Amino acid sequence: METVLSVQNLGKSFKDKEIIKHISFEVRKGEIMAILGPNGAGKSTTIRNIMGIMYPDAGTIAFQNHKEIPRHKIGYLPEERGLYKNVKVMDILLYLAELKDYPLKKAKERALTYLKKFDLEGKENVSVEELSKGMGQKVQFIASIIHEPELLILDEPFSGLDPVSQELFKQEIRNLAQKGTAILLSSHQMNLVEEMADRLFLIHRGQKIIYGNMDDVKTQYANFKCTIRGKNDRAVLEHLPDVQRVEQENDTSILYLSKDVQAASWLKSLPDSLTVQELSIDRISLHEIFIDIATDKNLLQEEGVVHA
Amino acid sequence: MRNTLKVAKWEIKRNMKNKSFIISLFLTPALMLFFFFIPSIFGDSDNEGAEAVNVFVNDTLNVFASLQETVNQSELNWELQQTDLTESEVKDELQSSEDAAYIFINEEALTNGVIPVYTSEDIDSMFASEVNVLAAPIRTMQMEQLQLSDEQLAVISKGLVFHETTAEDAAADVVQTDSAEDPMKRVVPGAFAGIILIMIVLTGMNIFQSASQEKKDKIAEIILSSLTPAELMQGKILGYFVLGLTQGVVILLVALPVAIWKTDIPIFEYLFVPQTALLVVIAILGYLLFASIFVGIGATLSDITTAGNFQGMLLMLPFLPVIFIGPVVNDPSGFFAQLGSYIPFTSPGVLLLRLSMLDEWPWIEIVIAFAILIVSVWLCMKLAGKIFKTGILMYGKNATPKEIWKWIRA
Repeated sequence: METVLSVQNLGKSFKDKEIIKHISFEVRKGEIMAILGPNGAGKSTTIRNIMGIMYPDAGTIAFQNHKEIPRHKIGYLPEERGLYKNVKVMDILLYLAELKDYPLKKAKERALTYLKKFDLEGKENVSVEELSKGMGQKVQFIASIIHEPELLILDEPFSGLDPVSQELFKQEIRNLAQKGTAILLSSHQMNLVEEMADRLFLIHRGQKIIYGNMDDVKTQYANFKCTIRGKNDRAVLEHLPDVQRVEQENDTSILYLSKDVQAASWLKSLPDSLTVQELSIDRISLHEIFIDIATDKNLLQEEGVVHA
Repeated sequence: MRNTLKVAKWEIKRNMKNKSFIISLFLTPALMLFFFFIPSIFGDSDNEGAEAVNVFVNDTLNVFASLQETVNQSELNWELQQTDLTESEVKDELQSSEDAAYIFINEEALTNGVIPVYTSEDIDSMFASEVNVLAAPIRTMQMEQLQLSDEQLAVISKGLVFHETTAEDAAADVVQTDSAEDPMKRVVPGAFAGIILIMIVLTGMNIFQSASQEKKDKIAEIILSSLTPAELMQGKILGYFVLGLTQGVVILLVALPVAIWKTDIPIFEYLFVPQTALLVVIAILGYLLFASIFVGIGATLSDITTAGNFQGMLLMLPFLPVIFIGPVVNDPSGFFAQLGSYIPFTSPGVLLLRLSMLDEWPWIEIVIAFAILIVSVWLCMKLAGKIFKTGILMYGKNATPKEIWKWIRA
């Protein structure tokens, strides 16, 4: 797949504080690439550097076949977003399309199609200030894709949306990717991203934690964990085979298993002395990895050292 | 440049579609006319009710007839009468009378050249200047008494005029300056440029609103994904310039016919002179200066109500020329007038005022003032660009002067 955007060794500091460092990733045609990370991890800073709204202190940002930022071919939905208040929906959509040098007539057609798609039919002549927050979000989204961008950058596209609209956005983003748009989106909602992203870049405190294919990442990092309800001695659990780490809270113990464990045979190897009221075995979700990172439990770092 | 035009077009369209802008567009000239006519409305009623001044002339030289004629010609609201009262009697008489004046024309007064006039306390304030029209007939009589020939009379009554020709003028085509020239000839282009300056500066204040609105609505980042901050800023400055001009044109469209109807100044004749072009350029430079300041400050604030002292003071800058009006009117070539021309913030206003009043333009000063103004405009644009670039993306909080200083240095 063609690489549309490639970021190499990006670094940016405010005063003496390094906000991001050594950030490298690529976005390819027709894929959804997600930048994940807790609040303040440096997601928006990375995106703003790509958009040329900030200037990086280090590293390079390269767009396919372009020396400068090809602004007309990028759609951008910033995290901090809004619209002019006292103008009509259609007027602002056309203005933003005009800024991208997109033909007006086509823009008008596309605007109407998308308004209809997003349940905003007939709102084109309504003043922006009369829209609800969710409607406003939809209009902003339409504005970012009205000019058929080759690269679409969405910074927290789902924040503040109700589940129905979230679904609508997700579908449309997938659609665009299928049609060949390269999509870079940032989010802190792991569950949403897990479903739709092809690749992900997990960032924390401005540094790369994980970068790779969603499936690879899942098999690589999302090991099995076994949750046992019942009073058991921690030392006993720790000495079970393939157990890397044990977390205990009241009567519940969570055993984090090593990567290569065979779930079935491992279960057979459990000693009879174990008190089991309930037992479940499943994979660590991205959500848990995310929380772990954000709360500095460093579960992943250990894993990362082993498997990186 | 294309993006700049797009932004400008958008700002114009957005305002033109805005009801409040349209209303103020037409309300402004309406208000101006209203205030223009208020004095004449009240003035008229005053005049009608005004008592005529009783002017008593103690005439021992038989000039009463010619005085009467002069008064009639000048259309003064006077009741001219002859009297036999003497100067000493008059003082008592005046105590008990209203709107009365006594003029004593006799041999003695004529020799001294001072004609005693006694007026009652409540006499109209205009009387002192009105009475001067009597000087002409009396002077004629004075000269006749000296038994000069008609030729001599003609020479003397012409008076003396100093015709100044500087080296510069002599080098160029000698421009005749006639002291009897209509002062309106200068005032009309000045007033024209003044209206333009005021309108575009007032509309320019909307730039401030517009820039801070950009922050408030959080749309800046979306816009900046399509163009550079400089283009956005220039587009706003250009857009509001056109809007200001539109306001100016609307005012002129309303004011010109009224002015032509109400006065007999040959406005068009005075307006279409090369000087107007220069004055308009001054007005435009003034606009650019203030517009860049406004757009810069606007980018540092999300709301005008949160403007700190620092920003508030900068917003007051366009009104600075007001403090120079007094001194400049008193002496259009004086120290304060020159000082005002050299301070960039007051320079457009002061220059317009001075050039409207001076017959002979101080070209060297104009050139220096222009140089200062142009450099300041350039500098302000640069600074505003730097402030705008960072400020416009700073959401939720206002920039402190310290931060602004940092951006400027960056």
